[in-house]
Amino acid sequence: MRAGILGLALAGLMASTAGAFAADVAVLTPYQSSVATNQMINVFQDKAKAAGWNATVVDTRGDMGQLASRIEDVVAAKVAAIVLVSVDPTQIQDQVNAAAAAGIPVVTIDGAKAPGVVLNVTSDNFELGTKLSDFLFGKLGGKGNIVKFFYSAHPGVHQRELALDEALKKYPDIKVVADHYVVVPGPVDDARKTTENWLKSQGDQIDAVWAAWDEPAIGAQLAVEADKPDSKIIIAGIDGNPQAVELIKACSHIKGTVSQDFDAMAGLAAEGLTEILAGKTPAKAEVYAPAKLITPETLGVTCP
Amino acid sequence: MILLRRYGTLLALALIVLVFTIASPNAFGSMSNLVNITQQMALLAIVAIGATLVMVLGEFDLSVSAVVSWAGIAAAALFAAGIAVPIVMIVVLVSAVAMGAISGFLVARYKVPSFIATLAFGTVIGGLTFWVSNGATLFSGIPAGFRDLGRGTLAGVPVPTLWLIGVAVVFWLLLDQTEFGRRLYAIGGNREAACLVGLPVRRDMVVAFALCAALAGLAGLLLTARLGSAHPTGGGGYLLQAYAAVFLGMTAFREGEPSVPGTLVGAAIIAVVSNGLTILGVPSFLQDLLTGAIILAAVLVRNFGRDEAAA
Repeated sequence: MRAGILGLALAGLMASTAGAFAADVAVLTPYQSSVATNQMINVFQDKAKAAGWNATVVDTRGDMGQLASRIEDVVAAKVAAIVLVSVDPTQIQDQVNAAAAAGIPVVTIDGAKAPGVVLNVTSDNFELGTKLSDFLFGKLGGKGNIVKFFYSAHPGVHQRELALDEALKKYPDIKVVADHYVVVPGPVDDARKTTENWLKSQGDQIDAVWAAWDEPAIGAQLAVEADKPDSKIIIAGIDGNPQAVELIKACSHIKGTVSQDFDAMAGLAAEGLTEILAGKTPAKAEVYAPAKLITPETLGVTCP
Repeated sequence: MILLRRYGTLLALALIVLVFTIASPNAFGSMSNLVNITQQMALLAIVAIGATLVMVLGEFDLSVSAVVSWAGIAAAALFAAGIAVPIVMIVVLVSAVAMGAISGFLVARYKVPSFIATLAFGTVIGGLTFWVSNGATLFSGIPAGFRDLGRGTLAGVPVPTLWLIGVAVVFWLLLDQTEFGRRLYAIGGNREAACLVGLPVRRDMVVAFALCAALAGLAGLLLTARLGSAHPTGGGGYLLQAYAAVFLGMTAFREGEPSVPGTLVGAAIIAVVSNGLTILGVPSFLQDLLTGAIILAAVLVRNFGRDEAAA
């Protein structure tokens, strides 16, 4: 057992010293299990490898206290840069300030602008929420009952919810008949179970499902497919999650997703970091990656 | 072998610190980082010391993480309503004590297994937390004076470390030097015998659960002060780590009994491993793997030594 632990420790030490002469870039997130966050991290790691950086990923599984501690660790390790993914830096402002004071640039992907953050690459979450709401309400002809999956703890996702609230003011005949705060991790299964319950209790009243991101939309689709496959319920989400896109292609109940270009976000962040590590200042402190609506029509599919 | 069995966990901590110091003398081995580790382990250790009290009874309190989250959200919500810092802290701590007392009462009076009672009541607390916060992270209105309770330094020592020192001394004295502490060990050793000799078993159990929740509430307040925000599941990470610290600590000093010094060693091991591996750039999945392996190794070494002694 002790030999095994030593072996693992040595493997870790070797991994850490392999790139001793490359720029050390610490990538930290509380949400690596999220498909979108994972995708951004993977793309960023590829870009980092191509740039010759030694990128290390730390995931704290939703624990912001741990995230604060791990940022302190990488500041102590004097890394060349810190990249925060899917987190609002104001929630760990002291640690971001400490990094900035130590001369370590902080870049956020899918984050927010904050003191000490040199560059934030993101989507305009309010716009994403508006696009989703307008699409869904348009499909309903401006009248009907929706259910809502939300997650207010993530500031970006909360912006989408606020956009829904705004859109609802424009569409007085759209009613939210039920809503659910999604459990993370495990959003797909949580949304599936919740939708099953809604279908049993008020299935005939539900016309559409508004999901703040695609994973709950997929959960809702699983439930509708199992319990009410012939219903006309429309589901839509945000992110352009590959599984959601496949389900749109397959003419499931998911009829739309507002795609965030996560690959582009990670790529723009890597480009920005290249400039920063070369001693330059990014032209803009916040860069928006483009977003687009994906539907069966945009995918060239004709559904019955 | 006796030395290894008796002090193996402490030796393991020293060895881990030594290995990390050799691997990264400038970053890990720096005095500022070692001081920083005491700050990073402070909240976990405070929750774990609370869990130690309940573990002494041979019980579990699975609601500690829910109480940590509740305390943070309740405090942030009260601050947003413009209530003064001392009142907020008193209200939050009293609410935490009440929550612990309810759990303790369910276990002591109605003999509901603590695993079930605290899991269920923790779920209730979680629901209350989401209700109050509406599921959102609360930022606004947290006064700078309150934030200073969880950050900064006093005479060069991080403030969270000072909280930990205070809590550790008080609860070490309580468990080791008072009649109440000895009664808890007696109840944990043999509850029936403790009843038969007339110890106030029910009352002591309720008090132990209440103190456990009070420390979880304190940790929640300090976490909110440290971060400047409160997350409705912010305490989620503390449950398993707190019990891991207690279990590691049980192998450190007393023969298989939870103790405050042992829990401090356990929390230190967890904090040092996380800090050191992050500094060395080891991916987080490997950190989990190593942390789990160290806990298993510590328990196996202890059992191995015990078997040898028995043979």
